[in-house]
Amino acid sequence: MIPRWSRWLARGAQSPIHANYLIQLRLRDFWVIISRIALLILILGGWEWATRSGWLDPFLFGSPSKIVDLFWQMTSTGGLFRDIGITTFETIGGFILGTASGVALASLIWASPFLSRVLDPYLVVLNSMPKVALGPLFIVTIGAGYGSIIAMAIAITIIITTLVIHTAFQNVSPDYHRLARSFGASRRQLFTTIIFPACIPDMIAALKVNVGLAWVGVIVGEFLVAKEGLGYLIIYGFQVFNLNLVMLSLLIIALCATLMYIIVNALEKRLLRHRQLEN
Amino acid sequence: MATNALEAIDVSKTYLSRQDQVTALAPISFRIPSGSFVSFVGASGCGKSTILSLVAGLISPTSGELRLFDEPIKRPSPRISYMLQQDCLLDWRTVSENITLGLSFRGQNNTKSASHARYLLGELGLSHTLNQYPSQLSGGMRQRVALVRTLAVQPELLLLDEPFSALDYQNKLHLEELLVNVLQGRKMTALLVTHDLEEAIALSDTILVMGGRPGVLRRIIEVPGEIRKASPLAARSQPAFRSLFNELWKEIETP
Repeated sequence: MIPRWSRWLARGAQSPIHANYLIQLRLRDFWVIISRIALLILILGGWEWATRSGWLDPFLFGSPSKIVDLFWQMTSTGGLFRDIGITTFETIGGFILGTASGVALASLIWASPFLSRVLDPYLVVLNSMPKVALGPLFIVTIGAGYGSIIAMAIAITIIITTLVIHTAFQNVSPDYHRLARSFGASRRQLFTTIIFPACIPDMIAALKVNVGLAWVGVIVGEFLVAKEGLGYLIIYGFQVFNLNLVMLSLLIIALCATLMYIIVNALEKRLLRHRQLEN
Repeated sequence: MATNALEAIDVSKTYLSRQDQVTALAPISFRIPSGSFVSFVGASGCGKSTILSLVAGLISPTSGELRLFDEPIKRPSPRISYMLQQDCLLDWRTVSENITLGLSFRGQNNTKSASHARYLLGELGLSHTLNQYPSQLSGGMRQRVALVRTLAVQPELLLLDEPFSALDYQNKLHLEELLVNVLQGRKMTALLVTHDLEEAIALSDTILVMGGRPGVLRRIIEVPGEIRKASPLAARSQPAFRSLFNELWKEIETP
């Protein structure tokens, strides 16, 4: 008699050997998931135990139960979701605008090889520079608000996007140039029909990197100016020495950043479903 | 009297770079009668591909003149279509969108020309792939789609730059057969660059042997009628085929 769970693990099998193979494969997947959850419980449980028993100072390290309490308290009274919403909005705005302007700048540079040569040293300098150092400049020109924070996220993403996408444009095989030109295509036609669409995978890759970078820009921006948002909560928690608040904000940021990454990943799969894997 | 599809008068090409200059092609003259199939063979670096780029209007000669149907070539001509070794299909477009690429670049992508492109696709046995993406096709099929794209603009002169050299032997023979069938009955002139001597003999009416650096025209060989009349596959078993192959081989091997 075959137990139920083993039949379920062997679902879709085409032969007894295939069934064995599938069971092995799925059992391994199962144990991976179990181990992941166990590791999480171990970390949280150990943390909770250590702070309760006095191994770790709960004042310095917070504790999971207090963080959960704080989460419920803040969602009902403190408007935590408003802070999450603001920071998420700034991040999405930042990485979309940063990626889009980077791609636009790269296209402009591609259109004029002369301009590309002229701007090259400027791009290198701007790229080497730590963009967060521009923070005070944004605050005095744009003002201490969302504008400066989004500007920070754009500043941190735009130059690297420009460089990466411009390189991608240039790496499209010269055979495509020959092909298009032999058909009498103009440089503009070549760009819109071949070069730009050929580099869409690179743009999505840039988008993925920029999700992470934009978070850096937004959180630093909020450190500097904000009166609301998750970055502000971190700074505030730090100043009043409420480490539970700092930890809670960090956990939420980690969660939101991961979610965004997953969404961009899904977008990539959807957009690139016809492309060849090797290139 | 047959007209000339292409005439080269003392054409030379020197490539310039910051470091040096390289003469790829010493002054060379030839005539290609309309409707013929002519191959350029020779060792690598003898300037055969340079000739195609010049004829395609992608680069201009350093000296001399190229005349296409008695008109000087200044820029890529709509009477010419160029096929490369790489299929260069656009992976994000379906086959039907790929085969009309040249037409849309030339602003001729209309219902009539598109249906002709589909007809050509059928002639090459690929009608069923119309709505597929290139990634779903095999290497030989991709190159056939590239051939359809090349022919869809209805060129009078077809430039083929080692179009089958990336394919395995079986696919290569198959595509040669298809190419000959497609060209039959169409008044198209074809210019093939290859280093596959068998391919040159099986397909051509005339073979221009090049050599040296910079490249010069060494010999012009007329392919015997019995090989010309036979299909590319049958030509390979003709008695005259081997001797011609050996003759060409010696010609290319001598430095």
